[in-house]
Amino acid sequence: MDNLVASNIRQRPTRTLLSVAGVALGVVLIVLNTGLVEGMLNDRIKRERGVGAEIRFGRSGAMLSPSSSNPVDVRYADRLMKIEGVGQVSPVGYYIQSGNSGLGMEIVEGVEFESYSAITGAKVVEGNAPKTDQEVMIDEFKALHNKLKVGSDIQVFGETKKVSGIYSPQVGSRIKMPLSALQNALSAEGKCFEILVKVKDPEKQDDVRQRILDELPGNEILLTRDLGVGVGREIPGIKGFVRAVLVLSVIVSALVILLAMYTTITERTREIGILKSLGASKGFIIGVIEKEALTISLIGVLVGLIISMIAAWALERATTLQLEFTWSWILRAGLIGLGAGALGALYPAIRAANKDAVQALSYE
Amino acid sequence: MDAILKTENLVMTYRVGRVDVNALRGVNLSVGRGEFVSIMGPSGCGKSTMLHILGGLLKPTSGKVIVDNEDMAGMTDAERTDTRRRKIGFVFQRFNLFPTLTAEGNLRLAEQIHGNGKKVVDEEVRREVLRLLRLENKMRHKPLELSGGEQQRVAIARAIITRPAIILADEPTGNLDSENSEIVLEMLQKLNRELNQTIVMITHNPEAAAVAARTVHMRDGMIVGEK
Repeated sequence: MDNLVASNIRQRPTRTLLSVAGVALGVVLIVLNTGLVEGMLNDRIKRERGVGAEIRFGRSGAMLSPSSSNPVDVRYADRLMKIEGVGQVSPVGYYIQSGNSGLGMEIVEGVEFESYSAITGAKVVEGNAPKTDQEVMIDEFKALHNKLKVGSDIQVFGETKKVSGIYSPQVGSRIKMPLSALQNALSAEGKCFEILVKVKDPEKQDDVRQRILDELPGNEILLTRDLGVGVGREIPGIKGFVRAVLVLSVIVSALVILLAMYTTITERTREIGILKSLGASKGFIIGVIEKEALTISLIGVLVGLIISMIAAWALERATTLQLEFTWSWILRAGLIGLGAGALGALYPAIRAANKDAVQALSYE
Repeated sequence: MDAILKTENLVMTYRVGRVDVNALRGVNLSVGRGEFVSIMGPSGCGKSTMLHILGGLLKPTSGKVIVDNEDMAGMTDAERTDTRRRKIGFVFQRFNLFPTLTAEGNLRLAEQIHGNGKKVVDEEVRREVLRLLRLENKMRHKPLELSGGEQQRVAIARAIITRPAIILADEPTGNLDSENSEIVLEMLQKLNRELNQTIVMITHNPEAAAVAARTVHMRDGMIVGEK
């Protein structure tokens, strides 16, 4: 291609490479972070929806942010069982720890396996349910991805514990231990994070929910079927986090392009003078610079997407993190990359277009 | 002869710090269609300033600059750029080709700017220009792969390919050895004769000036004589 835009891109490989890297970094930030957020949320929602309990009973305001605080008194389980329409209850405690690979976080659930199994249908498929405080159970996915088997060591609470069994299907968190062991470790005797409630007739879950609300006011009662509706609103901070990533990406990409194009414009002052002497309008000059920036940005977007895919593949292989890419976010990342490139080049382009032709021609 | 370029009482005053420098002090010049005029004078006499004003790169302080019936002195920067695009071709001492483009790419760029994005070049004219300048076999070369004389011929081709009303040449042989200078001057003469191209050329060199039909002498921002 023998045109000004293509030849300038080829002529300055280091500048082009740095600019492409800047835009690609912005795209990777967006695609990987949103992919991680979507993947983790959807994975969690899928597993939480699979627990089989129609209702979750917990402390008001605490249900949407899993934490290790475990504010619910387990004695509520007995009171819930007495409410008309309730078929089975199972208290569940939470402990949040960093992911085993150092990335992300994972939830360790404390369960009373008998009642939990009755609600969720989870069965031990290898080994057996934990019997001591030093034993935990993991699901098949974690066993496969972390290459764990019955008898393997696993870090929980910063201590080495043994995997006593592997359960299936994947429901709730991927690591489970006896609720009493979790309470002991957290010094939270008699406490749990939430109580799973299975109703006798799922058709009447709304009526049961209302009865629980009436009889045990001041608590939060969520319907499992509502999990995942407006995920961004449900998890505090997620929307802000995604927005911060977007803004950061735009700033990084735009700044890199701005600096690269600004330097280029200075180097090419004389060429701008030549363009002016040939009768190129300000619009033409801005167009040439913007086309160059957009071409570089487009390469950056493509490189960014490829890097994101490779990084996602590597992350999923190395950790239990799940990434989910949606076309809408890929498209948005692409548009943000291109937009940031165009925006970053605008100021240098306008400066170039406004240069004095005679001075530009005499530039050494 | 029908004047294609005319200046009336052209004045250009620069402000340098607190001092006014009078680069042009009332220049009256008329160039006929198809005429080859050279402008000579010592350094600092205002030749380059005048060429820049004639080409619309500068706006005069006062006076008129009529190019092909359009007064550029009263125009905005955008209007002067448009007139330059349509009616003027520049040839510079330092060739001013785009180093990253081939000779062909340099010509195409000029055509693209001239056509405002549309293809307006007459292929027959193109062939004729390349033949006259003996550039048919040089089109795939980048400027650095060409000799100085060849580069200047590409620059001349770029200026003329869009068939402007006037070619303004600023010391076109200033960077060339005598052999290449001769070739370039011969080319300019050929273009003038065979294509009836109007050319205004600035030069220090009396031999170069001699190829023009008329030579205008400048001193201290004024025309002091012609032959």
